[in-house]
Amino acid sequence: MVEKNEKSTKRVHPGVKEMEKSLAEGKCSRREFLRTTTLLGISVTTAYSLASSILGKEILPDLISTAHAGQKKGGALKWGMQVMEMADPATYSWTEKSIVARNIVEYLVETGPDNITRPNLAESWEASDDLKTWIFHLRKGVKWSNGDDFGADDVVFNFTRWLDPKTGSSNLGLFNAMLEETGEKDKKGNPVKRMIKNAVEKVDAHTVRLNLKSAVLSIPENLYNYPTAIVHRDFEKEGGDLTKNPVGTGPYALAQFKVGEIAVLKKRKETYWGDEAFLDEIRFMDLGQDAGAYLAAIASKQVDGIYMLDLTTLEAAKNIPGIKVVSIPSTQTGVIRMKVNKKPFDDIRVRKAVQKCCDVERQLKIAHQGLGVVAEHHHVASIHPEYFKLPQLKPDIAGAKKLLKEAGYPDGIELTCNVGNTDGVWEQNSVAVLKEDCAKAGINIKMNVMPSAQYWDVWTKAPLSLTSWTHRPLAVMVLGLAYRAGVPWNESSYNNSKFDAALDEAEATLSVEDRRVKMEKVEKILQDDAVMVQPFFRSVFTAVSDKVVGFEMHPTRYYLFRKVSLA
Amino acid sequence: MVLLLLKRIGFMIFTMIVVSMILFMLLETGLTGDPATRVLGNFASDEQKELWRDQHGYNQPVIVRYAKWLGNFATGDLGTSIRYKGPVKDVLLPRLWSTAILGFWTFAIMIPLSLTLGVLSGMKEGSILDRTISVFGILTTSVPEFASAVFFSALFVFGLKWLPGTSSMAGGFEFKQLLLPAMVLVVYDFGYVARMTRASMAEVMTSQYIRTSVLKGLPYKQVILKHALRNALIAPFTVIMLQINWLLSGVIVVEFFFAYKGFGALLLEASLNNDIALLEACAMVAVVVAVSSQTIADIGYTFLNPRIRFS
Repeated sequence: MVEKNEKSTKRVHPGVKEMEKSLAEGKCSRREFLRTTTLLGISVTTAYSLASSILGKEILPDLISTAHAGQKKGGALKWGMQVMEMADPATYSWTEKSIVARNIVEYLVETGPDNITRPNLAESWEASDDLKTWIFHLRKGVKWSNGDDFGADDVVFNFTRWLDPKTGSSNLGLFNAMLEETGEKDKKGNPVKRMIKNAVEKVDAHTVRLNLKSAVLSIPENLYNYPTAIVHRDFEKEGGDLTKNPVGTGPYALAQFKVGEIAVLKKRKETYWGDEAFLDEIRFMDLGQDAGAYLAAIASKQVDGIYMLDLTTLEAAKNIPGIKVVSIPSTQTGVIRMKVNKKPFDDIRVRKAVQKCCDVERQLKIAHQGLGVVAEHHHVASIHPEYFKLPQLKPDIAGAKKLLKEAGYPDGIELTCNVGNTDGVWEQNSVAVLKEDCAKAGINIKMNVMPSAQYWDVWTKAPLSLTSWTHRPLAVMVLGLAYRAGVPWNESSYNNSKFDAALDEAEATLSVEDRRVKMEKVEKILQDDAVMVQPFFRSVFTAVSDKVVGFEMHPTRYYLFRKVSLA
Repeated sequence: MVLLLLKRIGFMIFTMIVVSMILFMLLETGLTGDPATRVLGNFASDEQKELWRDQHGYNQPVIVRYAKWLGNFATGDLGTSIRYKGPVKDVLLPRLWSTAILGFWTFAIMIPLSLTLGVLSGMKEGSILDRTISVFGILTTSVPEFASAVFFSALFVFGLKWLPGTSSMAGGFEFKQLLLPAMVLVVYDFGYVARMTRASMAEVMTSQYIRTSVLKGLPYKQVILKHALRNALIAPFTVIMLQINWLLSGVIVVEFFFAYKGFGALLLEASLNNDIALLEACAMVAVVVAVSSQTIADIGYTFLNPRIRFS
């Protein structure tokens, strides 16, 4: 079947055959089949046709916005969202920055709201049988806005830059299989890493090969992580600032940009390589940090949509005529992580005591109005395809007291938990619920609520704090970013070679079923080491005006406006 | 008189220098975190940070750095904003102008309104009009700005749908967007100035010379306009001058609530984002305005009150 469709153009990964077999035998779901086969380089159309053929019924794409009949061209969309400095896409740490930038610069792939990864600047890709070599075939005929041709040199430049520790990009954690240790250690004792020579190679003007030291399935999905936008090969030579020199391949050009006020994008005059965008102009209007201001703006039709709907304004928004509330389940979550190399959390008994106090059901109900799913303190969600269900940890106050006593705190312990409400006040509420639960065991948590921007100054340093993590389609992606030894975003300073090895093994496993089995070990190590209190995964919301057509809610809020039009 | 002026100006400069020293010590000496980390981010290497400190003179003695900082400040070089990635001056001036517009319209409505009602109220102490104005004034002043902002928003934005909910002016200046923030400020401030005017007017009305004027048969209108009003406005003048300070930094709540891009919101953003250069500039502007307006108030008071002028 596959051969008939794609053999004439390129080689098909043997893993696709395995997935076909798994789907036919009911060992993997339709979505897992689609996701995995597309990651292995099968086109989305072929993957859907294969699934339809195996299951004997027509499978149509869901959650994908296609051009609606009668969508009008023209008009300006007004979008309420904080306008932040967005000079260097490789160092972005806020999704909002990428929402403006992704209309100017683009990604090699695109992972849709259905978690399926599709070609974008990369027309197709193929992986070796051992998943250690990935070849990306880049789209031909794509032009940068300065007139240059897009090609392999651009991609090689970006990979080299991301994987240079001097750049300070979080992408280091995503592409660990392209790094080697230098033998040196930084001041924190973490090994210093650099890119392996020839880890990224230009094969020809439109082909790039990645050579990994270990197998990784999620390479294409990693390439839609928000700091992986492809900038022009002369980005650094031209000053390294996208706002001052906004050269891109996307359908829009930056016409006006003022941090904290406004960003205006105008449709590029030159022909865009993809489908023509509908809107002539997109205006991102900064309405500050007050959730109420965003609701007031959309209610009074000052904006057509907003970046996010806070839980505090959700009910009010539902009652306002002329706007629709859009929601989607996600793996966004609040992780109350404990820094394992700082007192008192360098003692696992203290960490376990805190974890034992947590009542996850109560957390979800009170902190997030029950809108989400409970979790098991290992940062893998039930909607991740490789999720392995571990037994739920029930609150055990007596057990917590016993552990505290053994750790040398028979009279209880005083802790301070930082929280920045970077994604809403539910973060603060989550810490408040934990505070109440912990008080029963003599753990007195002092809440240190700080402004969101200041929180990011301390998020990797404070002994105890709640960090909001965004959605990632695969669990191995987020675990690699947050818990692998020495990576920039490892905020808990967790360092366990057994965990790293287990994660490497899971990352290298193609079959979802087999990967799920391997994830049991990964999840168990994290849970047993009590690195975090992670009570729930939350649903996310936003609001758009009725006149907005074709808007697609995304679990990571990676909004794309080129398919959006105004009625 | 000249001596008084010189004394006042001297004191004004001295106050500004003291405040600048406190600001510098608080913000530039690592008391609030490492400036290099703030600028370069959390992932910057130690070598990068050291290089940055060297390039920006952070390895020099504090006193040398302060002198340079003060010199730059005096010559209009306010530094570079971390958040806005540009000169502080370019960010600060438009924001000051925005707040000045908001302040102008607030004052344009509030001052005539509160003075008129205050005078009317003080003319006949204890009358129904006096009591009505007093109760209304106390009521509006006792409602904090954030509460009246929510109330007006619920009424005019969500209920009647008459006014826009935010005042970001992102699409250019629109007077309609100015109405809600100005309304909140007027309502909050009106009661205070009106009550001060009322108290002052009531006091003047009980003085001997007013009684004499009335008894000698002068028309009541002339007594009020020619004799009472001038003396009754001395106290409100000082209060009104103080409202300039309040408007500059006290509008934070209103600007934040309505997303108005003014000086108050900028001050808040600067502090929330650890944008030291911007925070220093905002704080210094607030100090300069506070000290200057106070000096002008003192001088104006001297002119209005002959007892001070000739003492």
